[in-house]
Amino acid sequence: MLYIHRTYCISPQQTFGQVDLETIQEPANKRLLAMEPNYEGIPPGVLRRMGRAVRMGVGASLPLIKEGLPIDGIIIGTGKGGMEDCIKFLNQIVQYEEGLLAPGNFVQSTSNAVAAQVGMMTKNKSYNSTHVHRGHAFENALIDAVMQLNQFPGKNFLLGGLDEISDFDYNIEELDGAYKKDPVSNKVLFDVDSAGSIAGEGAAVFLVNDQPADALASIRALHILHSEDEKLVADTFRQFVEKNRNAADTIDFFLSGESGDNRTRKFYTACESALPASTPVARFKHLSGEYCTASAFGLWLACRLVQGMALPAHLLKSPASVSTPQTILLYNNYKGVQHSFMLLRK
Amino acid sequence: MSRIFVTGMGVISAIGHSVAQNRQHLVSGTCGIQRALDLFPTKYAGLLPFGQVRTSTETLVKQLQVTDPGVTRTSLLALHAFNEMLEDAQLSPEDLASPETALAGASTVGGMCLTDELFADANHHTNGSPYTSSYDCASVNMFLQKRYGLKGIINTINTACSSSANSIMYGAMLMRNGFARRAIVGGTDSLAKYTINGFNALHILSREKCTPFDENRNGLNLGEGAAFLLLEKEEDINGKKVYAELTGYCNANDAYHPSSLSDEGDGPYLSMQGALQVAGLTPGQIDFINAHGTGTENNDEVEGRAMLRLFNTAPAFASTKSFTGHTLGAAGAIEAVYSILSLVHQEAYANLRFTKPVPSTGLTPVLAHSPMPVRHVMSNSFGFGGNCSSLIFSKP
Amino acid sequence: METAELKQQLKKQIVQFLNLTSVNPDDIKDDEPLFGEGLGLDSIDSIELIVLLSREYGIEIKDPKEGRKILVDINTIAAYIEQHRTK
Repeated sequence: MLYIHRTYCISPQQTFGQVDLETIQEPANKRLLAMEPNYEGIPPGVLRRMGRAVRMGVGASLPLIKEGLPIDGIIIGTGKGGMEDCIKFLNQIVQYEEGLLAPGNFVQSTSNAVAAQVGMMTKNKSYNSTHVHRGHAFENALIDAVMQLNQFPGKNFLLGGLDEISDFDYNIEELDGAYKKDPVSNKVLFDVDSAGSIAGEGAAVFLVNDQPADALASIRALHILHSEDEKLVADTFRQFVEKNRNAADTIDFFLSGESGDNRTRKFYTACESALPASTPVARFKHLSGEYCTASAFGLWLACRLVQGMALPAHLLKSPASVSTPQTILLYNNYKGVQHSFMLLRK
Repeated sequence: MSRIFVTGMGVISAIGHSVAQNRQHLVSGTCGIQRALDLFPTKYAGLLPFGQVRTSTETLVKQLQVTDPGVTRTSLLALHAFNEMLEDAQLSPEDLASPETALAGASTVGGMCLTDELFADANHHTNGSPYTSSYDCASVNMFLQKRYGLKGIINTINTACSSSANSIMYGAMLMRNGFARRAIVGGTDSLAKYTINGFNALHILSREKCTPFDENRNGLNLGEGAAFLLLEKEEDINGKKVYAELTGYCNANDAYHPSSLSDEGDGPYLSMQGALQVAGLTPGQIDFINAHGTGTENNDEVEGRAMLRLFNTAPAFASTKSFTGHTLGAAGAIEAVYSILSLVHQEAYANLRFTKPVPSTGLTPVLAHSPMPVRHVMSNSFGFGGNCSSLIFSKP
Repeated sequence: METAELKQQLKKQIVQFLNLTSVNPDDIKDDEPLFGEGLGLDSIDSIELIVLLSREYGIEIKDPKEGRKILVDINTIAAYIEQHRTK
């Protein structure tokens, strides 16, 4: 479907620049906040207006921008966009009683601010799109990239998935029951049997095209669906595995988006059990936390894994000696409704 | 490549609750913009003109028989247009719920129409309103998915004011790339204290009813509404009624400024040119342009200039935002419906309240409802971040 | 307030309000253009500066175009404030 040639990731862990996943960074104030680099290279005049989501998105794209890699279009997935700017503007509306308001936050709060900003910084006048379908925001961006490459063979697209966790968004999600009530260390996220996950954020970007030469990895197949029915999800998962079963694509690794939320665990268990028992299972939400586009972090990790990154023991669900995976199946679900299956191969 | 046809439409706006009502008012030149707003308390109610849909949120809930809690006005407007589209297209519940049926919607406001509730929840002033999972833009299509048990690919696009032009394009792309057999495409937005204050802070809300493309235009009016269209492939038509063929689409980026277009209008020029390319048409073949035409100083001058650059002599054009106000994330879809009505009825609708052309372009839009031959119509939508999209619909 | 003091205060307010984190208020010259060259501010900043003048000095500028004539550099803004401030 498409080939990934470069990838950069800003996350709550040491993933930007020198990658270190052996040491687990822990949450502060019940949230896994991204380790933001110092963004050298974003002009100060531009940086000053950016909210966290925009900063992380542009920051993760910076190496691609700086190296002057060809970017023929920009496709971003973000569940919430610039929520922080949005509420800042809202607070102004209330504080100044709809009087004279400073518009900066309003302009930055639009979900397409990241794609627009990268477009401006790279003077890129072609395709520019932003997908915001909550837990399928990044997946739709990925589908969009596949379709753009079919229409424009030989082009390069910047594909990204990003979300921020602001105080405001945290409050709303907490009221909605998304997070565990009591503070939990991410080191034991999967061992606590309770509702909710842990709040996370991050930005992962990928330079993708249709050229297999020197690619890090290729996306072989993708399927997304909405369902609260675990049987339907498991059946669809089996069909996906069956349909993509061939000599070249023996699934030898399962990357699970399990979030520590005991309300959605059944989906992951059902899918896991549809694969041969010998398939190693790894999880990543204790590193990224849960957010709409956490699957982009999952994909970044999958790219590292097929490239032969040493596998930290804390990723594996059960201890096993694992050789470098060739074909990874990534399953993610957001809030028990939005499911995605992604097949990735070296 | 398979041809893509529009086989069903639904629309709700300040000028009507159905496609038929909207056309009736487009033909008669009846503007829906009024100096009245009674959806929520705001100091701009009665002060500024708005294109409000003349049905209260409570009445919409009752009419549409919505019982789930936490459904916002943005979702209700969407459901209203969605239902009209379903009935118009006679799409069976089985086909609707088929994994081969995609939904590509758009919104820029989503549940933020509940500005006061959002403020309270975000600042932890409550124990949680019924709307905690309804504030994002995705909430609309999550609601439609659940209500109708949709199983295909579902997406929500937010590229500001070009959102639903892009969702139409995305749906067509899903069909052309084998991700869907048919696609329901459209967009929705409702009036919100948030957007009113945002556009007001940028000094681009007009104190009077907007006058797109007029020399003395002084800003836009905000409106609300929703529209959905059903896209089907040629091989699935089997004698069904067909309104139009979606022949061209393109998105391009002005890459100039977060909230205004460049003087040269590269974004608008490239999106119009790209859509012609996809459709395999020459500029001379476009009979009519439903312009973005918001009524702001920046947009109308740049859009006019880009039209002249591409077409030399601009085709007949008009902005129907002079009827509905700017419906943001719904505008691309609502104006797609109007563009298709132009094709079906061989007519162009007026650009209301125009008196004098912009000196630098000298362009005069269509001034009254005019019967005319329309074979290909272009619809423009440009948004914040320089996001520019053009669609072309053709007579089937 | 002395003009020099007002200018000093204004520079600090501008840096803070526009989040010009990389700019030291003392480095802004009184006759340095704020827009285009110099500080490189844009049209959104000009609207934000109008908001600043309203909130801090009670000055109402209705038309952003009128604003651009006032918001040339620190000298012009300070002169306008001295003539029109209501607080």
